[in-house]
Amino acid sequence: MNEDYHVPTSAPLYECEYCGRPFARERFRALHRGLEHASELDDEEVERFRDAYREEEESIGMFRLKALAALVVVYFGLLMIYAVV
Amino acid sequence: MLRRRAVAVVALAVLAVGRATAHGGSLAQDIREPLTIPTWLFLSTGGAAVGASFLLASFVTDRELIDAIHDWRRGAAVPGRRVAVGLLRAAGIAGVALVVVVGYFGPTDARSNAAILLVWVGWWAGLSMSAYLLGNSWSVLNPWRTVAELLPALDLRYPDRLGAWPSVVGLLALVYLEVVSPLAENASLLATTVVAYSAVTLIGAVAFGPSTWFGQVDPPARVFRYYGRVAPLSSDGDGLTLRLPGMALSERRLVDGRDEVAFVLALLWVTTFDGFVSTPAWRGLAGPFVGLGIPPLGVYLLALLLGFGLFWSLYVLAARLSRSTAETFLTPAALAARFAPPLLAIVAGYHFAHYLDYFLGLAPALGQTLAAPLTARSTVLVLSMPGWFGGVAMASIIVGHLLAIWVAHAAAYDLFPGRLQAIRSQYPFIAVMVVYTMTSLWVISQPDIPLPYL
Repeated sequence: MNEDYHVPTSAPLYECEYCGRPFARERFRALHRGLEHASELDDEEVERFRDAYREEEESIGMFRLKALAALVVVYFGLLMIYAVV
Repeated sequence: MLRRRAVAVVALAVLAVGRATAHGGSLAQDIREPLTIPTWLFLSTGGAAVGASFLLASFVTDRELIDAIHDWRRGAAVPGRRVAVGLLRAAGIAGVALVVVVGYFGPTDARSNAAILLVWVGWWAGLSMSAYLLGNSWSVLNPWRTVAELLPALDLRYPDRLGAWPSVVGLLALVYLEVVSPLAENASLLATTVVAYSAVTLIGAVAFGPSTWFGQVDPPARVFRYYGRVAPLSSDGDGLTLRLPGMALSERRLVDGRDEVAFVLALLWVTTFDGFVSTPAWRGLAGPFVGLGIPPLGVYLLALLLGFGLFWSLYVLAARLSRSTAETFLTPAALAARFAPPLLAIVAGYHFAHYLDYFLGLAPALGQTLAAPLTARSTVLVLSMPGWFGGVAMASIIVGHLLAIWVAHAAAYDLFPGRLQAIRSQYPFIAVMVVYTMTSLWVISQPDIPLPYL
């Protein structure tokens, strides 16, 4: 598995203590631990997973709004172009 | 020009759906009709459809739902499996014998020659469709494999570093041969090609053992195996497993390494190349090179290789960019391998659009000539498809893309811990898919001309 990863020496690194996978953000490591090693975690790690998950939930909400806006723009944009051409 | 007709059909198919006015043109006619909307708008609509499907897929962020869809499966034992396998193997051997005999001694007219119809209509169109719609039966039917397993194997060591590269070269070579030579019109040439292919294949299979040869080197075996991954049915030793179509494409390690990624990209490129060489744009592009005194066959080869290089480097570039959009330490090679299988759904969609009408139209002729293969006849049964049939072709291109986007979405969720991270990882790949789609749509919106300079 590890030949699939390449970590630049200057980058901040968060390694999973259970499987050694490297992550670029603390948040990704917390999420990874909760998803892949759920049964092995201590209370603090579980809490960190929950926080990361909640935090992500908020940014997903924002992303959905943007995606919806993009869909509307594409749909009505094409509709208007078809009306003109 | 049996095969060229198929390309014209797709052009009409797309036109029929791509514009507002009703299109009642006959699908059998041999020219592409001009677009009534500007080409740029036609292409943008196609590209926008791919982008919009990605945005729609990104609304599904529930891991459990994605897993449930991908893990759903039903298994069933097949009664009389040994008999069925034996019959299929016998049919495969009978098929190749028929192609050789009828190729040399059958009627010279392509449309009434069972060898030509069996290879192009039965095998390349029909069997390929069955491989991605139902399941891969070529692994059993493959007559060369059946024979090779009866022969003694020398079991020479296959160099690991060669990997799938010989099959990449082989696929490009076979498609080149198919485009530049009259393999779809000249039955004895087709028979000679089959004999030559048999010799190479059997020697290779004896030298390295059938499982290595057909697993690594043989291009058709790899094409059918990859098509089979799109299909709902797969064989698991003594029974059949039913899954939702395309779901097997999200699995880990389905495509492993640079060589196998290159094969998927080669398969995607050759479907485009086939149509590209019969456009006026190609005539204009190739003209100066032919004028310089380069032999036309060389120009065709150059275009095949350069186009493949371009498709492939675009994909590799996407994998590199994905590393930064997803903020991951996974190598570009690992990302490229993980997101290559979804492209197979796109390839299947294009294949279906290209060949459905061709297959259904000529299937009666195939049946008729198979019943009496050595009889020369002046007419054969050819079905003409109704006008709405073009919609089926266009729909299959769209379904192929939807499936590819969904499967890539699921693979990203399997790979990345962050849900938004998974969505971001797809940005470069979606951009590349938009480019591939617009290229293919552009090719089929061009007028169809005979292959120039050949």
